[in-house]
Amino acid sequence: MIRAEGLSKRYGDVVAVDRVSFEVEKGEIVGFLGPNGAGKTTSMRMLTGFLPPTEGSAEIAGHDIFQDPIVARRSVGYLPESPPLYPEMTVSSYLAFVARIKDVPRTRRRDALDRSLERCGLTEVRRHVIGTLSKGFRQRVGLAQAIIHEPPVLILDEPTVGLDPLQIREIRGLIADLAAPAKGVDQQTVVLSTHILAEVEAICRRVILINEGRKTVDAPLSELTSGGRTLEEIFTRETLRDLAEDAAAEAERETPR
Amino acid sequence: MRHVTTVAGRELRGLFVSPVAYGVLSLFSILGGVFFILYVAEFSEWVFRLQQMQAMEQLETLNLNDHLVTGFYGSMSMVLLFLIPGVTMGLFAAEKTNGTEELLLTSPLTVWDIVLGKFVAAAAFVTLLALIVGLFPGVLFLYGDPEVGKTLAGLLGVLLVGWTYAAIGCFASSLTRSQVLAFLITFVILLCILLVPAIADLGIASGAPGVADVLRWLSTGSHFEEMSKGLVDTADLAYFAVMIGSFLVMTRSVVESVRWR
Repeated sequence: MIRAEGLSKRYGDVVAVDRVSFEVEKGEIVGFLGPNGAGKTTSMRMLTGFLPPTEGSAEIAGHDIFQDPIVARRSVGYLPESPPLYPEMTVSSYLAFVARIKDVPRTRRRDALDRSLERCGLTEVRRHVIGTLSKGFRQRVGLAQAIIHEPPVLILDEPTVGLDPLQIREIRGLIADLAAPAKGVDQQTVVLSTHILAEVEAICRRVILINEGRKTVDAPLSELTSGGRTLEEIFTRETLRDLAEDAAAEAERETPR
Repeated sequence: MRHVTTVAGRELRGLFVSPVAYGVLSLFSILGGVFFILYVAEFSEWVFRLQQMQAMEQLETLNLNDHLVTGFYGSMSMVLLFLIPGVTMGLFAAEKTNGTEELLLTSPLTVWDIVLGKFVAAAAFVTLLALIVGLFPGVLFLYGDPEVGKTLAGLLGVLLVGWTYAAIGCFASSLTRSQVLAFLITFVILLCILLVPAIADLGIASGAPGVADVLRWLSTGSHFEEMSKGLVDTADLAYFAVMIGSFLVMTRSVVESVRWR
């Protein structure tokens, strides 16, 4: 469903993402893990076609996001780091607008709207102005916006950031539902980024860890934790190892002098 | 095309939810009323004086179009220069601060859909302003007999000037994420265009008539004046089309530039 090949993003000399490649199969929920500033958001922006990669390519549902952008973008639901909301609009008029620009056919718009409101628990606030909603509700509107056109691929950038524990549980439940086979709806493929390890353990079946722009781990969760290690140990070891290597390289460079 | 109307519809609704639209409309109507009263008072003063002086010849040449409506249109197009930056400043800048730029650019929209949608919304609002301008000379038809063609030609001029300003505002808003800065950039560009004829005159003085001609052609003023005198010339229409077109093309490039490698 998703194929990234050698995705790189450089800003001048700064390498934000360095040759990241991976594939995600239909119905998978993949956790994109990494410390802050590792390149998670940049990677996701490249997958959704918001940012062009300096090198490499990405395919969504068989369409190259840069060669065939309109078709590819139709297949993606994207929740950016901060939900892209118009504060002056009401929840339902906002979602109706999104349904239109995401090419939901006219006859299905009503259903799509009701369905996304219901799935994200927004039915009661549908007439509320977005600017007056709490952070939790705004996040849910952001999620509703991502799923309204029932895209085969969902890309969620830190979907539970800033929510209280109860809301986090709800959102996680919702994400798990999206990828679960259900009547009448196709399974969705989900890539979500987070630095909350418990989140990955709760909903993801596979983990991709990136650190300093490079992919360091890509394995099913069960395999990673099979040796009795916790995800936290792996995370710490991988991110610290890079730091240690950097320090070693630094030291090496300095010794000849 | 469907997407253009969707984007434009959202933008217009957003404009009317905020107090900006109402503020601009009220201010514009009030200023319109004030200017109109001033021009009417001046006109009747002229008529009164000329009658006293028994200057029948001059009284014959005095007419509502040349001595009232044209001036009024000119003043209102100056008011547009101050108000339109306020209408257009948020077009793209607000998308960036809301983070909704990411939504638009990752949706199956082309950059043209977005840019044209924004421009259509701003142009529709400007059309509303032009209609307000049109109301005042409309009143004159109840009490006098201005020329219909001339009055409408001038109004078309006001409309085209407004659309051009809107396209410039669009462009300025795409450059920055700060609405205040977008307002200032628009205002500065509009002032430059306004002042270009003065620079052109300097050009003549320094002996570069070719440059002066180009500069004068660039200015909105001369084309607008022709129209407010009732002359709808293809060359002037082409001028407005070129101005609007080129600023929209530039806007598209700026919006697209996020995707440049």
